[in-house]
Amino acid sequence: MSEAFGIMLWPFLACLLLPGILVYMGLHIVRREIIFVDLALAQVAAFGICVAILLGHDSHDWQTTAWSAALTFVGAGVLTLTRPGGKRIPQEALIGIVYVVAAAASFLLLSRSPEGNEELRRTLVGEVLLVRPGEVLQTFALFAAVGVVHVIFRRQFLLLSFDPERGRSEGLRLWFWDFLFYVLFGVVVTSFVRIGGVLLVFSYLIIPAVCANLFATLLRTQLAVGWAVATLSSVAGLYASYKLDLPTGAAIVCALGLAMLLTGTGRGIGVIAKR
Amino acid sequence: MKKNIIISQTILMLTVVLTLAASSPAKLNVVATTADFGAIARELGDDLVIVSILAKPTEDAHFVDAKPSYIVKLAHADVLIEGGAELEMGWLPPLIDGARNSKIELGRPGRVRCAESLALLEVPTTLDRSMGDIHALGNPHFMTDPVNARLAAERIGAVFATVDQQNAVTYRERLAAFTKRLDEKLAVWQKQFEPFKDRQVVAYHNSWPYFANRFGIKIDLFLEPKPGIPPTPAHLADMVTRMKAERIEVILVEPYQNRKTAEKVSAETGAVIVDFAQYPGGVKGAEGGYIELMGYLVNTLVTALKNSETSKEQKK
Repeated sequence: MSEAFGIMLWPFLACLLLPGILVYMGLHIVRREIIFVDLALAQVAAFGICVAILLGHDSHDWQTTAWSAALTFVGAGVLTLTRPGGKRIPQEALIGIVYVVAAAASFLLLSRSPEGNEELRRTLVGEVLLVRPGEVLQTFALFAAVGVVHVIFRRQFLLLSFDPERGRSEGLRLWFWDFLFYVLFGVVVTSFVRIGGVLLVFSYLIIPAVCANLFATLLRTQLAVGWAVATLSSVAGLYASYKLDLPTGAAIVCALGLAMLLTGTGRGIGVIAKR
Repeated sequence: MKKNIIISQTILMLTVVLTLAASSPAKLNVVATTADFGAIARELGDDLVIVSILAKPTEDAHFVDAKPSYIVKLAHADVLIEGGAELEMGWLPPLIDGARNSKIELGRPGRVRCAESLALLEVPTTLDRSMGDIHALGNPHFMTDPVNARLAAERIGAVFATVDQQNAVTYRERLAAFTKRLDEKLAVWQKQFEPFKDRQVVAYHNSWPYFANRFGIKIDLFLEPKPGIPPTPAHLADMVTRMKAERIEVILVEPYQNRKTAEKVSAETGAVIVDFAQYPGGVKGAEGGYIELMGYLVNTLVTALKNSETSKEQKK
């Protein structure tokens, strides 16, 4: 057992410490109905990595991170500009376009760069099992900083997602807070993508938030439910991954899916019983 | 009081049992990154070792997905056998970090890097990413030459004899038997290839320069435009023209490569696709040890060359 502990310790810490902020941001994302925004931003970040590699930088060079971050900011800008004004073009459509074009552009670059292939693969699947202690701590520090910004400006951010009409009437500069939201979101998503991969990021963002919305309306309760779902699913996924020797990231994603199924069923039974 | 005696007696007995279990001849735990090293380790170690292989024989050893059991196996390993020429570079180092096993640290006898004891082909003079997925130490697919496999076997046998000195004599005997059998087979294989000297064969990826060198054929045209870069339409069209002009009639494809690309080229040129594998168990018919694999490869390729149009015309 001590061996399992030694091997799974850092993946476990990564899955315990890091999803906290993802769950919180997920509540925003679900409320705003921009579910696929994380996939789009992650893909834009991966595109940045491809550009840097093609320019001859190594995937661990600071230039690569800079390219990835710069393009993520551009992506955040595009998403800010496309905040739904008219009803004719839903923002989800534009998010989809950003995703598809970034993915296709990465493929074009990839055909010129053999290293990009590995990097892009890693972006999708992630390597949560092989996460390094330094990586977990750095990312946690970064997430804590993002969390602090969110706590300081919680009024603005909450109005932005949960009651934009009132925000506007109170004279909130929506575009500015929107941009800041997407930048912070982009930073969180891209740094977690390097550890867990796109699939895991998406699951940690959306599934706990949806489960929480099934049971609670108060943000505080939603957060508690979301964090509980994320933590329990992480533990279950990591345990299954070790016991049954499964790829770790995919096991956690499936555990989260199972949690969704269970809470959904529980909720359904609850509703029927009440009638 | 009586209870205490029973407990202490039980503890004593347990200690005795455990000590006996620990001192009884334990098998050597051997981990091999790929099935070719694993097969040779089994040949030399047989009943004295437990061999685990990380990459599946049907998997591209450039990319292997990490699973918890890999770290567990490495944590218990007495010996780790790897190619060491950057083939496993993308995935093995973090697994070894995770295993925290001092027996397989670099520089310890338990860490066997087979490439170290032999000369690699295609060592680049300048490192330039524009060349594709190249390896600074040279082409890492060196085990496709039986002479290199012999050198690797000698290295593995020597390490087994050092780490498990009690059985050193047995390991040396088995090594001698293996190399003798391999040498005999090699002479036969070389004879089989004699009629096809300098014949050109196309491969999907540059995995076969050692094999080609040893058997006097040419495998220096590839469906990939550069190593690791997927085939482009222009390059494939180029290859089709060349294959028609130079009458190249065989394409080698490995299990994890895109067979559809080869099938398309085959349809255009009439060339035959031959399923090749670097690792025992990679293709049907090539199960068993290293010698069985090499025998399969030689036989299938020689058969394909024999049946080709060029050979039939030469007979006339």
